[in-house]
Amino acid sequence: MTRQPVSSSANIGLSRRSLLAMLGAALSSLLPSGAFAAGSGALNIYSWPDYFSADDLAAYTKKSGVTPNIATYNANEIMFAKLNSPAGAGFDIVIPSSGWIRQLAEKNLLQPLDHSRIDFGALDPSLLNRDYDPGNRYSIPKDWGVLGVVYDPDAVGGEIKTWQDFFDAGAKPGVSGKIRMTKSASETVGPALWIAGKDWNTATVADINAVAPQLKDFAKHIKTFAGFDPQAMASGAIVLAQANQAAARGAMLQNPKLKWVVPGPQSEIWVDSYAIAAKAENVDQAYDFLNFFLSPAIQVKETEYLGYPAAITGLQGQLSLDTKLAEQIFGGPGVDFKSLTSFIVNPDTIGAFQDVQNQVMAAAGA
Amino acid sequence: MSALSLNRPADDPRIAGRASPRRATRRASDQLFAAVPALWLFVFFIAPLGFTVAFSFGHADFGGVRLGFTLDNYAKALSGFYLEAFLRTIRFAVTGCALCLAVAYPTAYFIARHAGRFRQVALLLVLVPYFTSFLIRVMSWQILLARGGPIEAVLNTLHLHVGPLDVLDTQTAVFIGLVYAYLPIAIIPLYVVLERIPATLVEASRDLGASSWQTFVHVILPLSRPGIATTVLLTGVPMLGELVIPSLLGGDKGVLMGQAISSQYIDSQNYALGSAMAVLVLLAIAVMVALLARLTRGFAEVSA
Repeated sequence: MTRQPVSSSANIGLSRRSLLAMLGAALSSLLPSGAFAAGSGALNIYSWPDYFSADDLAAYTKKSGVTPNIATYNANEIMFAKLNSPAGAGFDIVIPSSGWIRQLAEKNLLQPLDHSRIDFGALDPSLLNRDYDPGNRYSIPKDWGVLGVVYDPDAVGGEIKTWQDFFDAGAKPGVSGKIRMTKSASETVGPALWIAGKDWNTATVADINAVAPQLKDFAKHIKTFAGFDPQAMASGAIVLAQANQAAARGAMLQNPKLKWVVPGPQSEIWVDSYAIAAKAENVDQAYDFLNFFLSPAIQVKETEYLGYPAAITGLQGQLSLDTKLAEQIFGGPGVDFKSLTSFIVNPDTIGAFQDVQNQVMAAAGA
Repeated sequence: MSALSLNRPADDPRIAGRASPRRATRRASDQLFAAVPALWLFVFFIAPLGFTVAFSFGHADFGGVRLGFTLDNYAKALSGFYLEAFLRTIRFAVTGCALCLAVAYPTAYFIARHAGRFRQVALLLVLVPYFTSFLIRVMSWQILLARGGPIEAVLNTLHLHVGPLDVLDTQTAVFIGLVYAYLPIAIIPLYVVLERIPATLVEASRDLGASSWQTFVHVILPLSRPGIATTVLLTGVPMLGELVIPSLLGGDKGVLMGQAISSQYIDSQNYALGSAMAVLVLLAIAVMVALLARLTRGFAEVSA
């Protein structure tokens, strides 16, 4: 769930780029959101950095006469904290990931959507009505990603099919010390829970603590928790990495021998979703914007720009033919969507997840 | 002076007394000038600090705090994992500080005492990197230290190293970045102090038969204590809260307090525990400042 958007035009130096975006986010967060013009003819969006193509934004401005103000965040946690504070009053559209929609709704930070004003027809039914937002009361899927593993088969010396294979391969000489794992607590603890046959949304604090020792023991093999860097995978500094499909595609375009897998028995699908903030002042404009960006023609263009698939049916057939590794955008060949689960933040367990993550990160540095 | 008072009796307090309107307005404007920074300090420093301290005794609520009085947060922050992180952070700051001093002292010494007319140029060169963003400077080390990067090429050409260089995402890389980033603010205070030590003192020491090493240890080093103290303060305090360099160059391994506090605030939405840890860091800084004040005791009277 911590990730950097990848644009197909510039997929080099992700971590650096996302840091620059972070800088931008820091600067833009200094601007009081209330300073944006309120009322009709304005639209304030709170989004991940670089999450819309400039072309499509310009097209929207041309059509509607409104230039959206876009402020950015680089983590759901930061977006949540801001919306949950007086500083979060000025936003109309927000783009939370699947896991945070329930928390935002429970804190009354989102408003229920008026389904009569949005055309859900083109959207992929398998991405609608999911457990994190039954009936899509608050959210409309924008784009999605899966948690998988990208690896150098020569270094790893075999095929990775399950999370157990991932941990076994990581302990091998030649692989140990060249592993990247994510900084997201759920994506570190989740695989260990899945191996133990547990569901990460119903796991208790005891379940989470029970997998901590094996993860801490594995920590010594990990090289970095920083943002996925395709160049590190191209140069061989990293040979085994957790990544989402789009970040992995960036590395695979640079180093064709890399392989990608969504390991069993379970893995993650996250869905970044449009939602309307409870205190939105430009609701009509927000629906207008959503309908424009949900139109299939724009969705195809956005997919080509972002490298993450928009949530529409039959998208793969509509991408331009010269899109490289197009299948990878959709999670790679043979990905089983039935085995994918979305993490839902639960205040009772999130602290335990994070404690394990901190312990693993500390153990990796010891 | 007396002529002036005669010409302008209203200015003389003995004649004008307290009722002078001129003095009254001046006092009002003085108060206004004092009030602005005081207000600034209160709003942007004292008030947030007050919140932090109040939060640290409260009960954590997801994304909020229920105020109250409990020591649970401190108990947790001072036990197990978080105590380790606290001690690790202190070790980290002490090591970083010592490395900075070790590099900065000879550099400042050379610039102050041997650079001659190139002194200004040398100081300018030390400060030039400061015109670039901190993040950009740290990130450029990512490129320099990366596998297949320029430093690997140079080391391999000089036969100082063979094969791919895997220093990125290690403690070594973190300390390289740390020393680099903090070096200018370490050099400047040392330079200022070293430059002011009168050459006559050094000459006197040599005349009295001290070797140059003895002169350094017994004359120059003690006289440069205020510079050392300032350097330790300017580098050690931010290092206690360092977050960016370990993340960019160290692969986010070995959690420090800066990272632990940020993860409590952001990832766990546990403001109470995060605040307790922040207060502990603040106390560590207070102890450090007290120790440094002791180190430089006696200098205030001399300079006054």
